[in-house]
Amino acid sequence: MNSVHFSSGTGEHAVVITRVAEQQWHAVENGQVVGRGDASRRPDGRLFISIDSWHDTVFDQLATAMLADLPRPLYTVVDEADLDLTSSWERAGFEARRREWEYLVPTDPRVTGLDSVQPPSGVTTVPAGEAQEVPLRALDRAIRDEVEAAVGWQAMPAEVLPRPDGTTLLDPSKYAVAAQSDHYVGLVRVSPITRQPRIGLIAVRADRHRRGVARALLAHALGSLHRSGTATAWAEVNESNAAAVALFEGVGAQRVSSNLELVHR
Amino acid sequence: MARTARGIEIEGTVVECLRNATFKVELQNGHKVLAHISGKIRKNYIKILPYDRVLVELSPYDLTRGRIIFRYRT
Repeated sequence: MNSVHFSSGTGEHAVVITRVAEQQWHAVENGQVVGRGDASRRPDGRLFISIDSWHDTVFDQLATAMLADLPRPLYTVVDEADLDLTSSWERAGFEARRREWEYLVPTDPRVTGLDSVQPPSGVTTVPAGEAQEVPLRALDRAIRDEVEAAVGWQAMPAEVLPRPDGTTLLDPSKYAVAAQSDHYVGLVRVSPITRQPRIGLIAVRADRHRRGVARALLAHALGSLHRSGTATAWAEVNESNAAAVALFEGVGAQRVSSNLELVHR
Repeated sequence: MARTARGIEIEGTVVECLRNATFKVELQNGHKVLAHISGKIRKNYIKILPYDRVLVELSPYDLTRGRIIFRYRT
């Protein structure tokens, strides 16, 4: 592996940056690892990097070494509230590409106003764990094809990207679906994280948009959580997805933080 | 507490989420430290919440500072 040497460190010792593995870099000062860099390729092919260091100087040295070794474009994710880290990446030449709001979503129907929401005429909701796997996978594929043809999956969070083997729907039992006639037209996935479940994905076939299917699915998911004693869930929404922002803010969801995806082109 | 290639690592429990993407973590030895989350955790969208049991790498420069490098399943 190639090494890059720097004469200036955080103290009196030089910092040595070494690429210790294909996707790992170490910054060593006086025999101690004082910073680490990591690169990993997402299922969509994009290369994401991260750097952990205790000093800005070491961050900059790791960034310089990694940028010299890796092809562009490179991506990273920061919590927007972490101003120091964000400015470190900007110093390295990264710029904001997209923002994802993190929402705290109430489940109480008296707060969400969803207590009287019903699915549109002819549509029924199939609870999580009861959906049939084959039509559910067909719906997942159809929705992904529609999104790919529109905004593209690169605009979506990492967790909904296809795996290298093409798998996208990992655990069918987590999905509730909206059914019409003999096929499924929408889905919502709730990840049952112990103390704060997550609305991981809510999606509806393109030709069924603007009919209240997503709102009904959200009402179903939040109602189930409320009945099980869960007061809030959380969800991440791309700020450019106006329909999703309106859906969540319309039920009283509060923005609590945001993640920035940065890119170095 | 363990001294590894990464430095000093110790388990703790998140007691508070602070502003500026920082967490107050109570370590097994009773000490409390301010910790950020590691880049790998951030890249993988792993959510850190109060009461989460986590592994913290302490700063060699300031033992009141740390970095959350792993969240245990509860």
